[in-house]
Amino acid sequence: MDKIPVTVLTGYLGAGKTTLLNRILSESHGLRYAVVVNEFGEIGIDNDLVVGAREEVFEMNNGCICCTVRGDLIRIIGGLLKRKGDLDGILIETTGLADPAPVAQTFFVDDDVAGRAKLDSIVTVADAKHLLSRLEDSHEAQEQVAFADVILLNKTDLVDADMLGAVEARIRAMNPFATIHRTERCSVPIDQVLGRGGFDLRRILEMEPEFLSEDDHEHDQAIGSVSLTSGRPLEPERFDLWMRRLLIEQGADILRFKGILAFAGSDRKTVVQGVHMLADSTNLPRWGDGEPRISRFVLIGRNLDAAILRAGFDACAA
Amino acid sequence: MLQVPRSRPAVHTFDAPVTALAFDRGASTVAFALGDGTVRLGSRADGFTSLATVSLHHGAVLRLVAETGPGAFLSGGDDGRALRIEADGSVIELASFPGCWIEELAVSPVTEFRAIAADREVRLYDRQGVLLGAAAEHPSTVAGIAFNPKGKRLAIAHYGGVTLRWCSGIDGVPVDLAFPGSHIGVSWSPDGAWLMTSMQERELHGWPLGGKSAEVRMGGYTAKVRSMDWSCRSGLLATSGSQGAILWSFSGRGPSGRQPVVLAAREKALVTRVAWHPRLPVLAAGFDDGAVVAAALDASAELLLRPPGGGAVEALAWSADGTFLAAGTADGEACVIDLDPA
Repeated sequence: MDKIPVTVLTGYLGAGKTTLLNRILSESHGLRYAVVVNEFGEIGIDNDLVVGAREEVFEMNNGCICCTVRGDLIRIIGGLLKRKGDLDGILIETTGLADPAPVAQTFFVDDDVAGRAKLDSIVTVADAKHLLSRLEDSHEAQEQVAFADVILLNKTDLVDADMLGAVEARIRAMNPFATIHRTERCSVPIDQVLGRGGFDLRRILEMEPEFLSEDDHEHDQAIGSVSLTSGRPLEPERFDLWMRRLLIEQGADILRFKGILAFAGSDRKTVVQGVHMLADSTNLPRWGDGEPRISRFVLIGRNLDAAILRAGFDACAA
Repeated sequence: MLQVPRSRPAVHTFDAPVTALAFDRGASTVAFALGDGTVRLGSRADGFTSLATVSLHHGAVLRLVAETGPGAFLSGGDDGRALRIEADGSVIELASFPGCWIEELAVSPVTEFRAIAADREVRLYDRQGVLLGAAAEHPSTVAGIAFNPKGKRLAIAHYGGVTLRWCSGIDGVPVDLAFPGSHIGVSWSPDGAWLMTSMQERELHGWPLGGKSAEVRMGGYTAKVRSMDWSCRSGLLATSGSQGAILWSFSGRGPSGRQPVVLAAREKALVTRVAWHPRLPVLAAGFDDGAVVAAALDASAELLLRPPGGGAVEALAWSADGTFLAAGTADGEACVIDLDPA
């Protein structure tokens, strides 16, 4: 049975999430999406596929923060999957104050959800006019940008070109993975929002190379990204040990990471991605003849020390 | 005690998942609840071979239990309604909670009370359907409710523990049994001495209600324990969530320090549902590959009653007289097996 794709919509209050949701629900794309809303009464559409639920963040009794899950999503995804199997996907609209981490972790940690649903991507709607000030005063706004696979930089008609450039540069410094769309009233083709495969290991290969090269971004004070590359093949055991230790020690601060790795003794590309301390990896197609075997590893998080990370990564080379 | 069925089971296929099933307390009607919002009713008169379709809920039927007396059922759906269904297919609305899902229902055949959970609230109704009271604002969405064996007290499971409430004053000061984590199911032992919960953390937690023993905690499960059932006399709690049915003994000094018994073990499939025969020491277990096995407690006999296929077993129940066993699967297959040795 194919796993049902789930798209998570985040964004600060007033950024335009509901506009996007209404657009997705009202356009004739022939797909049936169930929608879970955590903010009641905002959707103007009378649709029996809209389910309201209160956000319920459940910590596990082992005390592990990466096992924190969303109880409401476990319950509702389980219930939606009991319906006659005619859903093409599920959309979850989180509140403006929601932390995306427990949402993403639910898809890794809960066996019932992981067995039958897959997180497609996190889509963040950001208000071009107010994002910079939101990033100053809101922890949640930072997390929503840092976790995103797709960012709709919305309300572009309300700012000038300089402002738009500054906002986009700030987003890029925090999150080098995300695809940014400049929009007015969330006008974007649906296929740029749904079915993006943001957590799909195979899609990591499509990461645009410039975002994976050594960067010289001004790192955000709160959240930044570090891009690591190596032209020398990595020693698998050394890398594994380094990454495990990194995730144990700094997993709480590491929000997302993605990598394409060349290991010594292997002709295949290894891809890895994860959220906080949860990692997922697989071996993918062989390196092409003459293709430079360059390992790339990108982390988004708080208090990342680029020099220490680079030294640790370099020491993994065979 | 456990013999190969003499006749072929009555087999049915639906185009929606089976979400729950029950026999009525008179053992004359079976009801299969489906993900398309219908219930399919079968009669003992024709060996449960033909089923009548009754439309109940807009969306899925999320819960179905036998009513307090014979010949009827209670259902809950994702349209926020709780319904009473008669064996003849007539339907009465007991309660409606717009915008909520009704996933948790419980009845007591002793006091004939019914309890319905919606969101963080639990409402208590008497046998005529009169609302006796409500308790709101539990710490999270209620994930399990159960009456004690005397039908006078309710256990309400949620994030952070269980709340105990007397039916005589449902909104009165409750007793809180706290334990960190999300409690997703609750069950009283038949003697009322233990209250057990299953947890998001793939473990069980138990409180001794007499206060003589310590709380218990059982881990080691592969999956969340979605199904718990107490044997009628021997004090054995059967549980799903592992490669075989895991049985914990609560007789004497309780389960502490005692190894569980594993029954109906299969190598590559997980138990999803367990159901004790109402009188005999025989356990039925449904698996995530669709198989149904009945096993004698003394391990003298084990029967494969349904071969793998059709998705995970989502519902499993014996008729009250122990003659029939019914099962339903996630891919919409169902069967009623005649196990009467006579």
